[in-house]
Amino acid sequence: MDRIECQWCKAQNEMGRTNCTTCGAPLDKKDLVTDSGWAEAPRLRDMTEFRFSSSTCQIEGEIVPVAEIALAQGDSVFFEHHVMLWKEPQVPMSALNTGGGMKRMLGGMPHILSVAHGPGRVAFSRDATGEVVVLPLHPSMELDVREHAFLAGTHSLTYSFVRIKGLANVLHGGGGMYMDRFVTHNEPGLLLLHGYGNVFQKTLQHGEKIMVEPGGFLYKDSSVTMNAVKQNVKTGLMGGHSMYLAEMSGPGRVGIQSMYVHHGSE
Amino acid sequence: MTMPPAQGAAYTCPYCRMASDGGGGTCPACGAPVDIRLKVSDSGWIEQPPIRDMAHIRFGHSTCQVSGTYVPVAEMALHDQDSVFFSHHVLLHTDPNVRLGNLPLKGGWKRMRAGMPLIMMTAQGPGHIAFSADEPGETLAVPLAPGRAVDVVEHRFLVATGNVNYGWQNANVWFTTQDGDDEEWHYPLGRTMDTFQATGGNGLLLLHAPGNTFIRDLAPGQRILVQPGGLIWKDQSVRMFLHFEYPHGQYWFSSARYQAKSTWLTLQGPGRIAVQSVFERPEGSGSVRRSSGATTQYW
Repeated sequence: MDRIECQWCKAQNEMGRTNCTTCGAPLDKKDLVTDSGWAEAPRLRDMTEFRFSSSTCQIEGEIVPVAEIALAQGDSVFFEHHVMLWKEPQVPMSALNTGGGMKRMLGGMPHILSVAHGPGRVAFSRDATGEVVVLPLHPSMELDVREHAFLAGTHSLTYSFVRIKGLANVLHGGGGMYMDRFVTHNEPGLLLLHGYGNVFQKTLQHGEKIMVEPGGFLYKDSSVTMNAVKQNVKTGLMGGHSMYLAEMSGPGRVGIQSMYVHHGSE
Repeated sequence: MTMPPAQGAAYTCPYCRMASDGGGGTCPACGAPVDIRLKVSDSGWIEQPPIRDMAHIRFGHSTCQVSGTYVPVAEMALHDQDSVFFSHHVLLHTDPNVRLGNLPLKGGWKRMRAGMPLIMMTAQGPGHIAFSADEPGETLAVPLAPGRAVDVVEHRFLVATGNVNYGWQNANVWFTTQDGDDEEWHYPLGRTMDTFQATGGNGLLLLHAPGNTFIRDLAPGQRILVQPGGLIWKDQSVRMFLHFEYPHGQYWFSSARYQAKSTWLTLQGPGRIAVQSVFERPEGSGSVRRSSGATTQYW
């Protein structure tokens, strides 16, 4: 039987479908890729639905999209509590202790992630214009995500966080930088991110490099290495300023957002 | 100076007035779609259409591709003979081989006081480099014919080609109000304005404007009042000054002296102006003590 492959997540879909059942990407639209190889994250149609495990997720709205999840019995999702927009009263909640309380506090990250269990409906959204990026993770995949960028992860994902040494001055003005790490083991998982502005993804070949403004970084495969590279910029008055760019080296995917937080040049 | 329409060309873009063959679906000078109907309001404002996702703009030996819709990205494919300059905080990504440098800027102290970027960077091809702003809106491409100069409100500048001269000047649009014993200073346009002028050949100026953008040509002597925070750019031939309007209240405590006033920016032709539909709330209430050149009306 003929199948259509989703250009975004590579899942196989039945002929005649207009949206991917795994990630919601339109199947009847050509991928938009810039001349240098950055692919736009698929713009999910309003009210698009896709499935994970026995549950469904529906994306609503376009400027600040909402991800509404209909959780089946036995399924659950975890998230930072401030992204929950609404929930049905009967949805059971629990907490996922992240460990590393002091480090997370210093890093400005939440100590506890909330978990919503099925059956029932919950919905999530962030606080600014942007796109929901749906990233199905196949078994054994590892993905590193900019802190506070993830919207929700499904129960089959293992969550941890990693400190990126050497980027101390890049994203937190000397306080260090943590990234959320999501790992799948035996079962596929689904990760929903919110990128500010528009989101683009590029797949780097082995050894291929790209310099990214650190505030624009959104996610990467853990196989992609990230190093801070200092750019010395001279000014007539102050002598010199330091500016850091993140040097990303392949192999693997890199995701960026076009509206970013600038953390100054010192 | 408003550019005259090009003569004898197959297609003249109604938005930037540059001539091209009209093929390819978009104007190669400004990225505006060529296959849409010109939208002009009854009063004469032309709605600037957004640059289509993945549209190309040509400059020198290089191209600029605009992608995205909420916060568009301008990705340059720089030829080794071409360069661009930009404020360092708009850089999104770059090939490692693109040579980054800095543009010497005078008046660092004044720029710092005015809240303007101290560092203007340059990028020399070959290679890809991309820029984006930090708020939703539209990327505006303003092609500059040799010698043409435009004044741009501060913080709207994204990137310009290396053959464009950059300068800045006092906006000279200000007023003061009294708050107790203190005199408060207000700069509705910001303290300074950027000036860009193409030299040698056609230049390209990219701006970022929140909301939607509208352009208009003012005849000599023709005036229009706009919200000061709505102005994006203007031809240098367009004069500007403040205009205050005071409503008369019914009671003494609602008289002009105490009521909020309307602060307008008068733009007087000849020349082209561009405004954005999103603007900051006007600041300052109460009567004006001193100001730059202004007109006043009570009603």
